Amino acid sequence: MPLYFCSLTDTKEIFVIMPCYNEAAVIRDTVTDVLGHGYSVVVVDDCSKDNSKNQLSGLPIYYLRHRVNLGQGAALQTGIDFARKKGAKYFVTFDADGQHDSNDIAGMVECLEKENADIVFGSRFLPGAKTNVSRSRSFVLNAGRYVNYFISGIMLSDSFNGMRILTQQAAEKIKLTENRMAHPAQLLMLTAAKKLKYAEYPVAIHYSEYSKNKGLRNKDGIKILFEILLFKLFR
Amino acid sequence: MTLIQVVLSSGIIIIAIYMYLRLRSTIFDLILIFLFLVTGIIFVIFNEITDKIAHFLGISRGADMIFYLGILFLFFLILKLYSRLRRVEENLTELVRKRSIDEMEEIK
Repeated sequence: MPLYFCSLTDTKEIFVIMPCYNEAAVIRDTVTDVLGHGYSVVVVDDCSKDNSKNQLSGLPIYYLRHRVNLGQGAALQTGIDFARKKGAKYFVTFDADGQHDSNDIAGMVECLEKENADIVFGSRFLPGAKTNVSRSRSFVLNAGRYVNYFISGIMLSDSFNGMRILTQQAAEKIKLTENRMAHPAQLLMLTAAKKLKYAEYPVAIHYSEYSKNKGLRNKDGIKILFEILLFKLFR
Repeated sequence: MTLIQVVLSSGIIIIAIYMYLRLRSTIFDLILIFLFLVTGIIFVIFNEITDKIAHFLGISRGADMIFYLGILFLFFLILKLYSRLRRVEENLTELVRKRSIDEMEEIK
């Protein structure tokens, strides 16, 4: 069914949810790039202290602002709740720092429909993914993948990739309560608990100087591990 | 009375007064504060009593027993506080989320 995707899904029904915290330098480029494909964009500004909002002036997007900084997981959930209200058909999570490639979204939608899955996880380590990830980062991500497997029972090739796509049914069932760094682990746990059908799709990750400086560092792995363990204890 | 006994018992009295000022709402609270005050002072002044209880439990010194129990109690308190904190954060998230969705801002 190669033409299935083109024929049935209106791109406006694909909501790209972008949590944003102090991304003024790149947010406009990332958003315009995604808008170029015709997708609906929901920016969830997690109480940025820079002028991220001004950077978006004139763009046809949905802009939500948290009055208090809550964390990326909380911002994603807010975006999902909002997109559900707007009648979204597919929910894409997408990092605002420009490390993802908007060209991958169409492929992920196709994969979702072809596999009849509820959720598709992007992976930078599957064959076919273009990525310039460093060796030390690969090592940390690989360790994290085992942690997430241990916790959720789902083994992904890249369990900390910010790019995912969910169907309506999946978005209805998933409720992230981990506001900060443990939310990828919680997403996997919920995927397992709600018996959602999942698949993986190779996506590109572009590590720029900006995203390297802004994003997580390898040593944050310890912090994330700690949060995941606390989450597991107090769930 | 040794100096440390004076320091500890005055500490206990100050905490009891503070607790009283903070939560003097019910009889139950008053009884609780009173019990805390009395047992604390008895243990500080007649510390051989704690020694006897400790021997009974198989610990050589009363002070050690208080120490062990204290750690246990503090750990319990931390867990309670942490789960309370999580609940508070959940409520905060709910509020902030609802408000942000209700007030979706138009980009001009």
